[in-house]
Amino acid sequence: MTRLLRSEVLKLRTVWSTWVLLGVAAALTGALSVVIGFVPRNRHDVSVVFPARGAVGWYDVVFSVMTVAIDLALVLGVIMITGENRHKTITSTFLAQPRRGWVATSKLFTALGAGLVVAAVAGAVSLIFGYGAVAGGLGSSGRMLTEFRHVWPGVAAACVLFAAYGVGLGAILKNQVVALVVGLGATAIVEPILVAAVPSVGRWLPSEVAQALESVTARPEVRGAFGSGLSHLVTWWEGALVLLAYGVALVAAGSFTTLRADVT
Amino acid sequence: MASIAVEGLTKRFGSVLAVDDLSFTVQQGTVTGFLGPNGAGKTTTLRMLLGLVRPSSGRALVNGSPYHDLPDPMRTVGAVLESSGFHPARSARNHLRAVAAVDGISDERVDEVLELVGLSADAERHVGGYSMGMRQRLELARALLGDPEVLILDEPANGLDPQGIAWLRGFLRWLAEEGRVVLISSHLLAEAAQTVDDVIVLNHGRMAGHGPLDELRRGATATVRVRTPDAERLTALLSAAGTKAVRVGDVVEAAGTTPEAVGRTMADHGVVVLEMTTSGESLEQLFFDLTSGAPSPDGFTQPAPAGTTSGMPS
Repeated sequence: MTRLLRSEVLKLRTVWSTWVLLGVAAALTGALSVVIGFVPRNRHDVSVVFPARGAVGWYDVVFSVMTVAIDLALVLGVIMITGENRHKTITSTFLAQPRRGWVATSKLFTALGAGLVVAAVAGAVSLIFGYGAVAGGLGSSGRMLTEFRHVWPGVAAACVLFAAYGVGLGAILKNQVVALVVGLGATAIVEPILVAAVPSVGRWLPSEVAQALESVTARPEVRGAFGSGLSHLVTWWEGALVLLAYGVALVAAGSFTTLRADVT
Repeated sequence: MASIAVEGLTKRFGSVLAVDDLSFTVQQGTVTGFLGPNGAGKTTTLRMLLGLVRPSSGRALVNGSPYHDLPDPMRTVGAVLESSGFHPARSARNHLRAVAAVDGISDERVDEVLELVGLSADAERHVGGYSMGMRQRLELARALLGDPEVLILDEPANGLDPQGIAWLRGFLRWLAEEGRVVLISSHLLAEAAQTVDDVIVLNHGRMAGHGPLDELRRGATATVRVRTPDAERLTALLSAAGTKAVRVGDVVEAAGTTPEAVGRTMADHGVVVLEMTTSGESLEQLFFDLTSGAPSPDGFTQPAPAGTTSGMPS
């Protein structure tokens, strides 16, 4: 398994799409931090408390833009496995390791690490922004770091588990475009509708579960600033387990269905 | 001892019977051509050998084991397949390194096989910019990573220029001389004939014939002309033996046979020979005949009736 993991990491490191995704994570985090932190807004337009620039809780809100990394981690997980079908490298992968379940499992583990890297990039950019803002006279570095710790651990956990969920989606759906549309479409469209319609069910869906993870360390007054509120969310540990279960169950299902299919 | 064995192998894709009760063995130190027209079932058979396609029934074994049970598949079998792909943005060297890592094969070996197939100078280039011939060489390099004793190559000459094909021939011969088992598929007998020792001919998923290429080559001299004062008697004798024979004056033309067979008939019956000539039939024509169900030459075996198995002489 160690060799398979080494191979998977090498595959990730040696294609431009990985670096583009990390670049996008960095660029989006940076750009959104500036927009959220500095673009003037009518405070009556926001439904939650939005602290004044540099005030207590301001960094909490600005750092919450790191959640964009979660979708990118999902994308990375999806392309890790569907890219093999797209470029037909799955043939050489299965020739090297014919036990297909092992291949899928190694991708799942690699995705956990890759998700953490995506979160680390978003975190690094947020810290750069934070230190820049502190240097500009907005609060102290101590408060900035405290508020960073409110947000990043939850985002990192969600990134790690969403990358694994992405591998699961790729394992079961095989086609890259379909897996991305289903993964991102479900997060952006289907799940919010289900949450609104049947909250008791919707709260177990991936994006809501991820939000439970993100919220675990956030200050109560800024939790859910950009989400649908928090009262319906599951607890963080339930969320972590459920999200991990999504990834594992989908990979297991894929191992017995699509991954068993003939490679022609 | 390295070997390939296929036993009663059958593959059905929905209503299409791609491979039908196929059996053969390939032994060490030979290059065996796996021949048949497009759609004959060659690639499907090779993919079943390599664990990529699940047989509907029967077994495909390498060194006595199904591919997925081999402890170190890359060190046992090297395969070149037509439709395997490359990430276009990954360099050739990194492509090989990623595959090699699965079996703990070193980067030094990666560089060795790149050198072996003549790609060292282009190793750091993205595969997306490779020609078809370079991709084929890269596939061959991947197959050789584990220094395997069994090589399974699906149409390896595709995309190679004449120089590349000549190089491939020498390379395959060298591999066989090293005592490896080489099974190479092709839809062109004339091309394969320059490389292989034995041939297995497949048609519509079934064995159309198998045996040493020399036997097939001997059988390719198919029309025998004999000038004899006993033309009428010889025509009758050959016809009685199942050979298509036609008399034109004092000349008998026997088609679909060999000089040996005609000569033996004449000797057995004391037929006087004034002149005997043979005219050649191309290997390609013979290949076409075989895949059309025509009788095969002596020494070249056609399949046993359904329900029985057949095997290459070892």
